[in-house]
Amino acid sequence: MAKGANPYAETGAQHDGPRWGMVVDLDRCTGCEACVVACHAENNVPAVGEDEAARGRSMHWIRVERYWEGEYPNVRARFMPLLCQQCTEAPCEPVCPVFATYHTAEGLNAQVYNRCIGVRFCANNCPYKVRSFNWFEPDFPEPLQEQLNPDVTVRFRGIIEKCTFCIQRIRRVELDATGEGREVQDGEIQPACVQSCPPSALVFGDLNDPDSRVSQLALSRRAFRLLEFLGTKPGVIYLKGGETNV
Amino acid sequence: MSELGSREAGPDQPPGGPELSAQFQGRLLLEQRSDQEINEAVLRPMFQTGRGFWILVAVLGAIVAWGLYAWGYQIYWGMGAAGINRPVYWGLYIATFVFWVGISHAGTMISAVLRLLKADWRRPITRGAEAMTAFALMMAALYPLIHLGRVWKFYWMIPYPNNRLLWPNFQSPLMWDLVAIFTYLIGSMLYLYLALIPDMAMARDHTSGWRYWLYRTMGLGWRGTEAEWHKLHRALGIFSVVIIPVFLSVHSIVSWDFAVTIQPRWHSTIFAPYFVIGAVYSGLAALATILIVVRKTMHLKEFLRAEHFDPLGKMVMVAGLGWIYFWFSGVIVEWYGNDPVIIEILNDEVFGNLAPLFWLQMTFNVLPVFFLAFKRVRTNPLLLLIVTLAVNVGMYTERVLIVVGNLQRNYLPFNWGTYKPTWVEISIVAMTFAGFILLYTLFSRVVPYVPVWEIKEGRLRYSLRRIGRLLVPTAAEIE
Amino acid sequence: MSEAARLMAIFDEAAHTAEAIDALHEAGVADDQIVVMSGVPYPERALGRHVEWLRLPYIVLAGALGGMMVGFFFAVITPNLYPLNIGGRPTAGFPPVAVIIFVFTMMATIISTFLGVLWEMGFPEFGPKYYDKSATDGSLAVLVEFPAAIEHNVRQLLEEHGAHHIRRPELKPL
Repeated sequence: MAKGANPYAETGAQHDGPRWGMVVDLDRCTGCEACVVACHAENNVPAVGEDEAARGRSMHWIRVERYWEGEYPNVRARFMPLLCQQCTEAPCEPVCPVFATYHTAEGLNAQVYNRCIGVRFCANNCPYKVRSFNWFEPDFPEPLQEQLNPDVTVRFRGIIEKCTFCIQRIRRVELDATGEGREVQDGEIQPACVQSCPPSALVFGDLNDPDSRVSQLALSRRAFRLLEFLGTKPGVIYLKGGETNV
Repeated sequence: MSELGSREAGPDQPPGGPELSAQFQGRLLLEQRSDQEINEAVLRPMFQTGRGFWILVAVLGAIVAWGLYAWGYQIYWGMGAAGINRPVYWGLYIATFVFWVGISHAGTMISAVLRLLKADWRRPITRGAEAMTAFALMMAALYPLIHLGRVWKFYWMIPYPNNRLLWPNFQSPLMWDLVAIFTYLIGSMLYLYLALIPDMAMARDHTSGWRYWLYRTMGLGWRGTEAEWHKLHRALGIFSVVIIPVFLSVHSIVSWDFAVTIQPRWHSTIFAPYFVIGAVYSGLAALATILIVVRKTMHLKEFLRAEHFDPLGKMVMVAGLGWIYFWFSGVIVEWYGNDPVIIEILNDEVFGNLAPLFWLQMTFNVLPVFFLAFKRVRTNPLLLLIVTLAVNVGMYTERVLIVVGNLQRNYLPFNWGTYKPTWVEISIVAMTFAGFILLYTLFSRVVPYVPVWEIKEGRLRYSLRRIGRLLVPTAAEIE
Repeated sequence: MSEAARLMAIFDEAAHTAEAIDALHEAGVADDQIVVMSGVPYPERALGRHVEWLRLPYIVLAGALGGMMVGFFFAVITPNLYPLNIGGRPTAGFPPVAVIIFVFTMMATIISTFLGVLWEMGFPEFGPKYYDKSATDGSLAVLVEFPAAIEHNVRQLLEEHGAHHIRRPELKPL
């Protein structure tokens, strides 16, 4: 059982496949928000505009949270990209009355848009507040609708949506690999945010594979998971040392 | 016994005779009135639909129509029409939902608990209380629909399998909520209706025209035979026992909508009893408010008297003390735990942007308890009206604080937010208040507001007994 | 009993009614052939009548049991028909199951109490009935059924105990 080597692996009857996870190196993150833009483009996430964003209606599947550390004048900015943590024991899942969100066999926290009726209970119970609600009909003004990703649905008003780890990319690589009769290689799947991160602060891979890059990075002594004391067992692992390069 | 009593007033003087002081006439629950006169006194106000009544109905109807327009607006444009946002995903809608469910708790409290305890002062106010329960629950039941992002898919929560044979998730507190509210709504309406059947028959015998047909239909063919009374009593007895656990569970389940989450401050074991006692507090206060208004507008002073408001006021006071106790028990533990998130939420509540609401809540929920300790307040309609209205202002504020105040702050400070209701939310909330009053007003003109048969039954059981110089009403134990 | 006759009599007061019923019993009128209608529930046995045995408690218990099974089906069976991993929870954990079974049990108990008592009373029944409207005005209407042969006797008995408006009743819509 080499799988046991990684403390963040997901084992058990339902998890004989991969457990997709991500490592976010906070010491590398520059807060450039390229991941945010890439995510919007890849996943057809609408931009709600300044007014709505000011009212707390911004829709991002990944966002960069900025925190200040220290007292003036020794102030440092800390950037923390926050996306759905794809928790193994996700608090958002049991509270949905219509099973619109559940845990897939690949360790993803799935959101079924067609099933969602918009009670927003999951959003309330998410300690990371990474679920976005479609407050209005999504608007893609000309010529934005020309660049909509055909692999991803455009969501309706009144439902919750959130990061999928770019499930469409995962599926494409898996299908290609199956077609070529081989295993999915580590690093072959790149969600949009990972692909676009200039300092390579984001790494995606299979936490159940002890040799994958994410598993190796997760063994770092800098590794921690956000709000770990809540017991949600996230699939996103943060790395943070003492210093930041910002 | 004889030493205490019989020397002052001779045994030849019958109790209830001319020397019976006016003070005690009232206590005897209409001892001096014949059954026809009671029927008349209850039925007459139902026909009074004067200009004031229709103006009230028109105003309330207009508010309801405006609220429906606001709801339509929200459905058409999306939930963004309301002021909710991240992280305050639930706002006034859920707060008002909790408020209405709370209001609905007094009906059962009065009619079921007091029926089991054989407290006779409940008799004239049971129907008003039960109607309040039913209508408040109807208003409450609207909110889970109103706050749905896709209300046109509401039926996906009804337990039947979809085309992929997937059922709703019964692990979700919202499903518990749905089922519990539905159960309580059915229970309170059937309870109201069951106790109404004999009075429908009474009204049938004394009316004509459309009212006759309505009462005949609702009376189901009641004749008042002994067998019918016997069965009705048994059924009401069973109802009283069954509906008490339901009423306790409903608000507990509503509280678990919050308490089972891992949102700090919501995640609290005391929420269930805290919600139940708060519900009883606001429900009883609302009942007192309504009874005072109805007593005035429907000329039922003869039926709703000081000796009913006095114990009701005491119950409000006891519930208020309970509320303070539970509130403090919750706060002291969380404050002492010194969890940074909780401390932040508490600080925000007491000193932050919602601080005015917090102090309003504390003032209007705590002070009434002291006022209600005085009999003068409990038996003075105007003072009692002011005090009980204050209680409900306080309790409404409490619900807003629980929903909005606790959602504003959470574990990641980046996600802290604030909330301001929009005109859509305020219109819809106003719609349910107007709708409640409208339904209640119409109900009071269609259905005998005072349960006539219960009053007559209570009168049967009363007699005057002489103790010293006093003539004391006593109730016989005959059931 | 081929020839049965009916009389409707109005009493103003319960004590006289009880005496009249006793007298009727002695005159050979069976208890189930006397019906007393009143606008007030007189306590059981106040009028000297036997109390009917009710099936209502059994109906209620059956309803409660049914509700419990419905709750069990929803809370335990349905999640296993389409198992989904939600937050790593068991498909049917004890607390949610307890809540759902409790609520459905109570719902069924309430509904079966209501339907049970209507069924016991034979309601709704809008057909013509023997009735007197003075029942809801504080009087007691006594309907007696007896062999036609003793009609004179019964009429006399009723009069003796203060009844008035003694007449042969007609079936009328209420």
